[in-house]
Amino acid sequence: MIVVNTDTLPGYEISHSLGIVQGNVVRAKHVGRDIAASFKNIVGGELKGYTELLTDARRDAMARMLAQATELGADAVINVRFSTSAITQGAAELYVYGTAVKLSTSTTRAAVEGTPPPISIS
Amino acid sequence: MLEIWAAYIFPLLILAVAFFSGNMIASRHEKSLSARQLILAHIRTTDLNRFFEPDHRIQAQLFTAEITLGIDHFRGFLGSLKNIFGGQIRSYQKTLDRARREALMQVIEQSHSAGYNAVANLRLEFVDISGKANMAKRANMVTIIAYGTAYTTHAPLNKETQTAISPLPAAIR
Repeated sequence: MIVVNTDTLPGYEISHSLGIVQGNVVRAKHVGRDIAASFKNIVGGELKGYTELLTDARRDAMARMLAQATELGADAVINVRFSTSAITQGAAELYVYGTAVKLSTSTTRAAVEGTPPPISIS
Repeated sequence: MLEIWAAYIFPLLILAVAFFSGNMIASRHEKSLSARQLILAHIRTTDLNRFFEPDHRIQAQLFTAEITLGIDHFRGFLGSLKNIFGGQIRSYQKTLDRARREALMQVIEQSHSAGYNAVANLRLEFVDISGKANMAKRANMVTIIAYGTAYTTHAPLNKETQTAISPLPAAIR
């Protein structure tokens, strides 16, 4: 699956849209991490625990979005956006959405620039 | 005696430790950011939703990066003092700036190591994990998500400097 946050894709033409696909995750920090972070927070610097929390959340949300796209038989998800909301103190929602599309290789461009890589769903 | 320690000296000690180590961590981070920015100055970056002279044979790809930076107790304390009178809160501004630069740099570094030489449609998003940022409380950390689409471009570099025509913004003075 090709995932980009732009409207277009180099080498391909978007043949038709399959609609919006989305994924969300609400994650809370656990108390152990919270305490460790509060000590680290005295001096500032990167709070690795929270960075990891967010990386995990992003991965999960993306996986859900991609699962939807695969179900629709999409070749790519374009115009991907991340959005977050603070629901309660100590939990963050990560919401990712994009448009699932079918692709076709652009014939005019291929003649000039060479053949783009084949469309593959992985 | 113990009360004096608990009430005045201990908090002051923490503030002093936070001040020195916070400064050290921040300046070290800023130095490393500037160095990394110089190394990857040839990566073409834009927040426009378009590709400049892309190579149509190479598939574009989304890259994301997250970073959480803590605001040390001293700066947080300064910030809450400033909050009474209003005005610019420099310490918060600088921490946010560092977090944004770091997240952007990570996206660029990932794109570079995957073999791309340009990133389009860069976006930055603020995440409020602590849930305090819009509750009139002291937010003690900032989290930024950066993402963008990496692609390969044929666009020329600046001839003299061999850097991208649109370099990354420098640090806020």
